[in-house]
Amino acid sequence: MTRRIALIALFIAIVAIAAGYAAAFSRNGTPTWAPWLLAAGIPVALGAIMILGAVRGAGGIGRLKIPFAFVILILAIGFGAALALPASEGPLSRLWLGLPARAAVVIYGVGLLPIIVLPVAYAMTFETLTLSAEDVERVRMSGRKYATSQPAPISGNETLSAND
Amino acid sequence: MTEARPISALLQVALPNAAQPAVITVGLLYFAVIIGISIWAARRTRTANDFFVAGKGIGLIALTVASVSVSVSGFAFIGGPGFIYAAGLGAMYIVLPAAVTNVMGAWVLAKRMRLLAEARGLITIPDAIGARYRSRGAQGLSAIAILVGIVGYMATNALAMGVVINSIFGVGLGWGIWIGMGVTLAYSVSGGILAGIYNDVFQGTLMAAASVLVFLFVLNFGGGLGEISRTILAHDPTFLAPWGRLTPLAALSFFFVFSMGSLGQPQAVHKYYMLRDPLQLKWYPLLKTLGLVLVLLLYFGVGVGVKAFVLAGRLAPLTSPDQATPTLLLNVTPIILAALVFSGVAAATMSAANSFINIGAAIVTHDLPVAFGRRVTNELRWGRVATVLIAVAAAITAQRSGTMVAFLGIFGWGLFASTLVPALAVGLNWQGATRAGAMASIATGLLVTLALEMASYWKLFRFPAGVTASAVAMVASFLVFFIVSWLTRDSAAATIDPDIQLVMDI
Repeated sequence: MTRRIALIALFIAIVAIAAGYAAAFSRNGTPTWAPWLLAAGIPVALGAIMILGAVRGAGGIGRLKIPFAFVILILAIGFGAALALPASEGPLSRLWLGLPARAAVVIYGVGLLPIIVLPVAYAMTFETLTLSAEDVERVRMSGRKYATSQPAPISGNETLSAND
Repeated sequence: MTEARPISALLQVALPNAAQPAVITVGLLYFAVIIGISIWAARRTRTANDFFVAGKGIGLIALTVASVSVSVSGFAFIGGPGFIYAAGLGAMYIVLPAAVTNVMGAWVLAKRMRLLAEARGLITIPDAIGARYRSRGAQGLSAIAILVGIVGYMATNALAMGVVINSIFGVGLGWGIWIGMGVTLAYSVSGGILAGIYNDVFQGTLMAAASVLVFLFVLNFGGGLGEISRTILAHDPTFLAPWGRLTPLAALSFFFVFSMGSLGQPQAVHKYYMLRDPLQLKWYPLLKTLGLVLVLLLYFGVGVGVKAFVLAGRLAPLTSPDQATPTLLLNVTPIILAALVFSGVAAATMSAANSFINIGAAIVTHDLPVAFGRRVTNELRWGRVATVLIAVAAAITAQRSGTMVAFLGIFGWGLFASTLVPALAVGLNWQGATRAGAMASIATGLLVTLALEMASYWKLFRFPAGVTASAVAMVASFLVFFIVSWLTRDSAAATIDPDIQLVMDI
């Protein structure tokens, strides 16, 4: 079910991004809503393909729901804020860690926050949700079984079956 | 707002003559280390497996640093800061995806690619596509697509090498190309990917050190990021707006192409095969992301810093944006730091060239013969021959310095993205993907990218603001992949072998 939802979300996000690009070909110039389609479509597409990669078999993604949701939201909020907030950059602007507010949202929010969350979540859940020593052994056994079922290798390094 | 400068214009830069004793000495030391590593690696390369995937025996740290090294090119050191100088913070949307791309690659591809190596002993990306769809046709088509992209990348990298070596040693562009390609070729032929990996480790370390030192120097020279921002805001507030001088669509388009497209870059994806122990993948995304952040500090620091220094009158206005890094290095920083960065740029181009030469040689000697049901009896020997031919062809093409080489370079990245991302990244994670869907998607990516880039190059067509051929081709490839797979869904289950099914289920 999780895999199906991720696939549908990925497809819808790609359609949204395609619509954003198509709108840019309008004779009257790019409509103001076109960037919003990319701002929404990109986080969903990236989140969906990550979920697709994280799903095991017919199962779900367990605790990874939280970091995935966080990153999709961070990207969407970052892009949305950059589009929606009024331009206020000037000599007297208040600086956030050395940058004006809208730039700080993008550089620190979109560019740095996911680094703190995603790779750590990946490492912390690696053995339980991504790959264990038993998984590797099962794959090795399956590969050996496949190799013995093949008549002759095509190349010196692998036994690719070629049906077409 | 102004439109983004074409990336093509940023792939080639004219560097000033930096041939000073300190720069030449550091450059010579750099080449000496490369040669030493190559001799060591050559003694350990005995089989095609060693030559193309380092015998699947690379440790985590070495693989991470090498992967960082091939993920950035000279663009991150020269063209990128220049792009920021010209376009403001909008240029950051090329590198901001680094926050998610490495971990995304780990979830989507790394585990399954590495397990395919365990199950089948695969050594190339087309191998993985061929095994996934049980299709020599899909393997051959993806091999052709990668080879077309490599032609462009190699010519651009050869030219970039010539520019940098000419700047360091003052030998002329033509000799620079042949010297750079000759050194790269020497270690690629002798030690294959093993020499490439350990040279990448050295080169990546050099790049990270140079980047961090320059970034700290810029902050110190400018009185901190706050002071640098204040200077810019007083003269040119648009520069620090969230899109800089780009349109929102252009900036977001960069983010899309450089994030999703990262899943199709063979120089990075190919590395997943090489890790000694699949369980070491646990720390790979974290270490690689941190490494990339260090290497990209220069991109941001120099671009923003030089803008502030010029606006404050501390540096003369630049003759072109691409002069941002050389101007800072040759006028402000200690010469030894300049020498490190120039060697770092040479390292970046040689590292990328080596990786592409190796992938191209594997395609010529392994994937294309397999696609035609043939087998090369001595893949190691023919791999070395193919390596020489690809490198010489790239050097000759690069001699045609000019817009044609730039044209070849621009579609490389986009072509990899549009041809490989749906078939490989989605295909390895979706059992409903079909052989027909994969082949249609690869063909769509190849044809749309070539058609749009050529139409744009010959000025037959002009894209509206913010739209690029790479983005359109990738979106088209995705849609074709989904639609054709859905239309041919009855054949999906029949194209997956049991061991591949297990790899996709885990």
